Amino acid sequence: MSKMNRREFIKIAGISTAALSGVLPSLPLIGEPTRPNLPMDLAVVRNGQPAAMVRKAVEMLGGMSKFVKKGQTVVVKPNIGWDRVPEQAATTNPEVVAEVVRMCKEAGASKVMVFDNTCNQARRCYTRSQIQKKAKEAGADVSFMYKQKFQKVRIPDGIELKTWEIYTDALKADVLINVPIAKHHSLSRVTLGMKNLMGLIGGNRGKIHNHFNVKITDLNTIIKPQLTILDAVRILLRNGPQGGNLKDVNEMNTIVAGADIVAVDAFGATLFGLLPDQLGFLKEAYSRGLGEMNLDKLKIKKVSLS
Amino acid sequence: MERLRRISQILFLIFFLYLFFHATYPYEGGIPAEIFLQMSPLVAVVTMIATRVFVVSLLLGLIVLALSFFLGRYFCGWMCPLGTSIDLMDRLLGRIRRSDRRKVQKFRPWKFSVLLVILVAAIFSFQFVWFFDPIVIMTRVTTTSLYPLAAFFIDGMMDVLLQIGIFQDPLFSLYDFLREIVLPLEPLFFQQSVIFGLIFIAILLLNRFAKRFWCRYLCPLGALFGFVSKFRLTRGISIDEKICTKCGRCQIACKMDAINDDLNSYNPIECVECMSCIEVCPEGAISYKMNFRLGSEKTDVSRRRFIWSTATGLLTLGLVKTSFPDKVSQGNVVRPPGALPENEFLDRCVRCQECVKICSTTGKALQPAFLESGWEGIWTPIVNARHGYCEYNCNLCGQVCPSGAIHPLELEAKQTLKMGLAHFDRNRCIPWYKNEDCLVCEEHCPLPDKAIKFDVREVKAQDGTMRVVKFPYVDESLCIGCGICVTKCPVEGPGGIFLTNAQEQRWGEDESSGEGYLENF
Repeated sequence: MSKMNRREFIKIAGISTAALSGVLPSLPLIGEPTRPNLPMDLAVVRNGQPAAMVRKAVEMLGGMSKFVKKGQTVVVKPNIGWDRVPEQAATTNPEVVAEVVRMCKEAGASKVMVFDNTCNQARRCYTRSQIQKKAKEAGADVSFMYKQKFQKVRIPDGIELKTWEIYTDALKADVLINVPIAKHHSLSRVTLGMKNLMGLIGGNRGKIHNHFNVKITDLNTIIKPQLTILDAVRILLRNGPQGGNLKDVNEMNTIVAGADIVAVDAFGATLFGLLPDQLGFLKEAYSRGLGEMNLDKLKIKKVSLS
Repeated sequence: MERLRRISQILFLIFFLYLFFHATYPYEGGIPAEIFLQMSPLVAVVTMIATRVFVVSLLLGLIVLALSFFLGRYFCGWMCPLGTSIDLMDRLLGRIRRSDRRKVQKFRPWKFSVLLVILVAAIFSFQFVWFFDPIVIMTRVTTTSLYPLAAFFIDGMMDVLLQIGIFQDPLFSLYDFLREIVLPLEPLFFQQSVIFGLIFIAILLLNRFAKRFWCRYLCPLGALFGFVSKFRLTRGISIDEKICTKCGRCQIACKMDAINDDLNSYNPIECVECMSCIEVCPEGAISYKMNFRLGSEKTDVSRRRFIWSTATGLLTLGLVKTSFPDKVSQGNVVRPPGALPENEFLDRCVRCQECVKICSTTGKALQPAFLESGWEGIWTPIVNARHGYCEYNCNLCGQVCPSGAIHPLELEAKQTLKMGLAHFDRNRCIPWYKNEDCLVCEEHCPLPDKAIKFDVREVKAQDGTMRVVKFPYVDESLCIGCGICVTKCPVEGPGGIFLTNAQEQRWGEDESSGEGYLENF
């Protein structure tokens, strides 16, 4: 074999890199399509300390070991989107996030990662939401997202979104736990679990807003958290998703947990006095078989801690 | 002594870099990041002349200058980060054949011309120091070019390592650590970075012709120190005529070509007290001791040169002031929150990019201008709202401004100050031209009561169907012109919403009481 000179090497390396980058990974489904057998669909806990409510809700579903097995890697995805403090209810309650991380660790997770693709500058959001500090204390790896870690992924069941950039760490993790906060949102009326997953994608995210219901459902066909824990300790009633005014915040002291993201969101709607079928994205997701939105078909158990 | 000088140079370079990285969110107390710029007496003198105001924060520069009566151009030799960079470049170049010292010596008075041009312009209230001040040059090029470049290469190296695919976890841990201390979270991009970089490279490459070419022949700050050194009260370097054998090694070693041709005296206007001569003298004839002795050297500024420099200063000022004011681009110029009224702002701003640096760690709104606000506003900070926005919870730009061109505002004051106003372009905004919902602008609007509101109306869309659409509009009474709606608008190109300086408020100062207030324009 003749020796390869430098020019040839660069040429071949270039061609092979280009060829490789043209091949999109096909459907590395995030999350597990088959759900574990749970004693109920939704666990709703009220009137307690944030951490205690989260723990109770997960225990009612059968405990974290139903979702996280020993040695698994877990991504906990809170909403860290905004440069706001917890009292303003624009970001997930840091105590809630920390408690989820702690329970994952107790269940034997080898690594718990916490991150979000923020709307305001990431360091500001991570700091002021207190999530970075509290999650780190609970044992999570909290890092700012890397542009190198987004990869374009095909969305086979996507109607409008055929491909999109998704974060590799989320794709690779064994378990994805979605920890949204319940907030008002002018476009979708409320933002709950399904919209929270926008924090795992890159690209021109504003484009998701155009034909939002279809596109957010497309995204939810490929990113499927095993567990969704809705933080409704404080909810934002108006001027969401950032708020800023404490008069728009309502102390709800509620945590909703379930494996079915559509069911969690359907219950979440009622916290705002809405019916699930008033929300376009829920109807879209339900009609495409992503989950159950009819509350009367769900087994819901409610507990008050005081 | 020479070793001591080198240590001092390195320490001040480290101090400069420390302050550079210190100008980062979260910016909490400690040494003010702008202090190195305030140490430059040229910035202090010119700003005060141009604005006719005694700026207290610039007092430090005057103290640094006053020390020159005793220590000569110590700043150039021991502290200046540009001087240190040039010395480091010198080491890199190694032994090269340089031009004959007699040939380049004729450029000596040029630095006084540069200084004169700047001072004359300042007297006519045109602040021109920003092009030439070495501390400003260093801060500017580090912000816009050197730091992004370093981050780019580190990023690229990490990319390669990560593609090889081994040691991923420790690599990302290292990366996380670097991000905590020095690296930016995202790649940085600045307008004009190429130009700033080229200017810096040119200054370094002038070393090809003579050591410290910039400091010897061009630097106006050096000229200012030299001018004061002319009247200095003490001498440091002294050559013992009895021991000196006139071997001339000191003259070859001297960075500044300050050893006179008689080989036993030196020119304190040129000398930067670097101590190299002491080190090379084989006889030990040169020493450093404080002698009280008045200076008598000439500054090589002829009457002809004086007249020419004054004329050049006036001409530059006149040409800039009479350049065409482009109303369209000027209307799009949005200044940082707390900026003084435009004329005062231009007189004060030294174009150091300190505000741009700290802004790049939060909302990334500020960019150095090119000709957006005319020739006079070149390199001043402006908001480029498609690239970044003014973070609602941030007021850091005013805190790091060395010359008070941006007034430091309390956060509450900043959150209600109008920098400008957002306007919808209905030909480009998705709900307006396409009759489909979007509202990304409204989602990002940080005002607690939302400066972007919307009407819900049923319309007949282009395809003939009837639809209910949310049509956004700007509530002018609430909008503060932060520009996040413009940054986040998903429409490519100019976007469906844009920013102008309509309704902008500047920080004015009451001349009699000295109290600040907001001026509406």
